[in-house]
Amino acid sequence: MTCKVLVADDDAYITNVVARKLQNAGLDVIVAMDGREAYERAIAERPDFLITDLQMPGMSGLELSARLTAELPEPIPTILLTAKGFEIDRTDTDHLPILHVMSKPFSPRELLDNVRGAVEIGALS
Amino acid sequence: MIELRRVAAVILLFLGVGVGLHLLMDPLRHASQPAAVKAMTLGAGLALAVLGIIGGFLIARFPKERIDGVAGHLEDMVRRGTVGMVVGETDADALGRLGHAINHYLAFVKDEVEQSHMTAKERQIQMKVLEAEKRHVEAVIHAISDGVLVMDAFGDLVLTNAAAERIFGFTFDASTRRPVDEAIHDKRFLELLHDMHETGLVVPHRTLEWAQGSGEHTHVWRVILNTVVEGRKHDRVSGVVAVLHDVTKEKEIARMKSDFVSNVSHELKAPLSSIKAYAEMLVDGEAADEAEATEFLGVIAGEADRLGRLIQNILNLSRLESGLVSTNKADLAVTEILGDVADVMTPQAAQKHIQLEVDLAPVFFHVHADRDLLYQAVLNVVSNAVKYTPERGKVSVSTYLEEGWVVVDVVDTGYGVPPEDIDRVFEKFYRSRHSAGGAAGTGLGLPLVKHVVETIHGGQVALESHVGKGSTFRIFLPAVR
Repeated sequence: MTCKVLVADDDAYITNVVARKLQNAGLDVIVAMDGREAYERAIAERPDFLITDLQMPGMSGLELSARLTAELPEPIPTILLTAKGFEIDRTDTDHLPILHVMSKPFSPRELLDNVRGAVEIGALS
Repeated sequence: MIELRRVAAVILLFLGVGVGLHLLMDPLRHASQPAAVKAMTLGAGLALAVLGIIGGFLIARFPKERIDGVAGHLEDMVRRGTVGMVVGETDADALGRLGHAINHYLAFVKDEVEQSHMTAKERQIQMKVLEAEKRHVEAVIHAISDGVLVMDAFGDLVLTNAAAERIFGFTFDASTRRPVDEAIHDKRFLELLHDMHETGLVVPHRTLEWAQGSGEHTHVWRVILNTVVEGRKHDRVSGVVAVLHDVTKEKEIARMKSDFVSNVSHELKAPLSSIKAYAEMLVDGEAADEAEATEFLGVIAGEADRLGRLIQNILNLSRLESGLVSTNKADLAVTEILGDVADVMTPQAAQKHIQLEVDLAPVFFHVHADRDLLYQAVLNVVSNAVKYTPERGKVSVSTYLEEGWVVVDVVDTGYGVPPEDIDRVFEKFYRSRHSAGGAAGTGLGLPLVKHVVETIHGGQVALESHVGKGSTFRIFLPAVR
C-alpha cells in the first residue's frame, strides 16, 4: 500500500515542487490550495501524512492540524512549513501530531527525508 | 491735686456764699443805715455770693472739661481711625503728665499700627503674587496633555487637570474634597496610588505602564508616580503625584514596525523558497525531461523577478516618502494605464481562477500624471483585490468622469475589510488582524497608493467594504480639461 500525503500551501509553486519530489519518491500525493480545502480533502481522503504551510487563507496550518486531530479517529503525522519559524510557540504544537517544523526556504530533499523517516517509524510501530 | 482743687473750690464757694449772705443780711440788722449804704451792701453781698458760686463751680469744673477734651480727642481719633496727640506741650500738671504718658503710649501704638499696616500690605502683595503664581501653575497643569492628579495623605483628590478628568471620566471640584477611590473606579490604578503612598519613603519615584480597558480599545499609559515627603526628617508621605502619558500610539507603532519586519521577511521568503526548492530539484536530477527542467528554470527566473519587485516596492515607498523621487508628469490617458495593469494581472488572477474584468472605456480620460508612479498605484490596488479575493471570485476595473475627477473603480468579491479597519488600511505597515484571507502582505501596497494619488497627484483614495461581500477601492484624479 502506498503512503498518501496531503500537501497544503497557498503558493502553487510550493505545492507543485513538493508534490513532484514526493511523487518521484513513489508516494501518492494530493494537493490543497488553502486551509479549508485541505480540511475537506483530509476528511474525505484520509491521508497518511500531512505537509502544510502555517499561514494560509481560510484556516492556518495549526488550526487545520488541531481540527483534524479532534475529528479523525487517528492523528495524521504532520510536517509544518513556515516562513515565520521563530514565532511558533512550542505550546501551540505540543498537543498536535506535528513531527517537524521546517522554516522556509526549505530543502525538498530534507523534507522527503523527514517524511520517509516518519513513515518508517510509523510502519515499525 | 484734683482733690485739692475740689477742696479749694468748695472753700471758695462757701466763702463767697457766706460773705455774700452776711452782707445781704446786714441791711436787715442795721435798719437805721441810709438807703444808699443798704443798697451798696446788698449789691456787694449778692456779687460776692454769685462770684463764690461761679468761681467754685469753675474751679471744680475745669479738670472735667480738660478730661472731656482728652476723651473727645481720643474718640475723635477712634472715629477718624487716626492716632495723634491728646494734650498740648505746655500742660505740665498731673493731667498734663497723664496726657503725655498717653501721648507717648499713643505714639508707640501709632508706630505699631503703622508697622502692622506695612506688614499687612506686604502680606497682601505676597498673597497676590502667590495667588498669581498658583493660577499660573494651575493653568500650566491644566494645559498639558498628560493627565495629572494629586492625592493627599488622607487619600483625597486635591488637584487634577482636564486630561486626567478625561482619562478617568470624572469632574473635579477643588472646593469639595472627595476620596480618590470615589472619583476613580479602576482598581489597578487605585492600587498603584495607594501602594505608592505606603512605600513612597522607600521608593519615592516610580515609572510604570498601566493598560486601561481591554481588547481593541486598550489604552496604554506610562504612569510617573512621585511622592511628596513632609516632616523635619522627611519621614512622612503627605501625598502622591501621578502623571499619565499616553503611549498607546508609540506601542502601536512599535507593534506595526515589528509586524512589518516580520511580514517583509515572510514576503521575501516566499519567492526565495521557490528559487531554492526548484534549484535543488534540478541539482538532484528530479526533472523528468528537458521540458520539465526548462519549467523549473522558468519558475526560478520568475520568482527571482518577483523577489526583485517586492524589494523595489519597499524601496519605492521609502524613497517616495523621503521625497527622493523626482516625478515626471505629462498628460496621459488613464485607459492606457489600466490596459497595462490588466496585461500584468491577468495571469495572476487566472492562477486563482479569478475573473479579472477591465472595462477599457472608448473615451480616453486624461490626467496630468507621472506614468510609472500612477501605473504602480493602480497595479497595487488591482493586485491587492486579487490577493484578497478567494478563488473563483471576480475583480472588475472601470473608469469614468465625475465632477472634474477621473475616477478609477476596482471592485472585488473578496473577503472585505471590517469597519474598524477601513480608515487604517492606508496606514503604513498596517495589516488587519482580522484579515480573513490570511494572505501575506507587506502592509506597504496601499500606503504607496495613497501617497502617489494624494500627495503626488492631488487626488484622493476611498474604500467601501462589506465583510464577506467585497470591497470597492476608488481612485480620484483631477481631470485634464
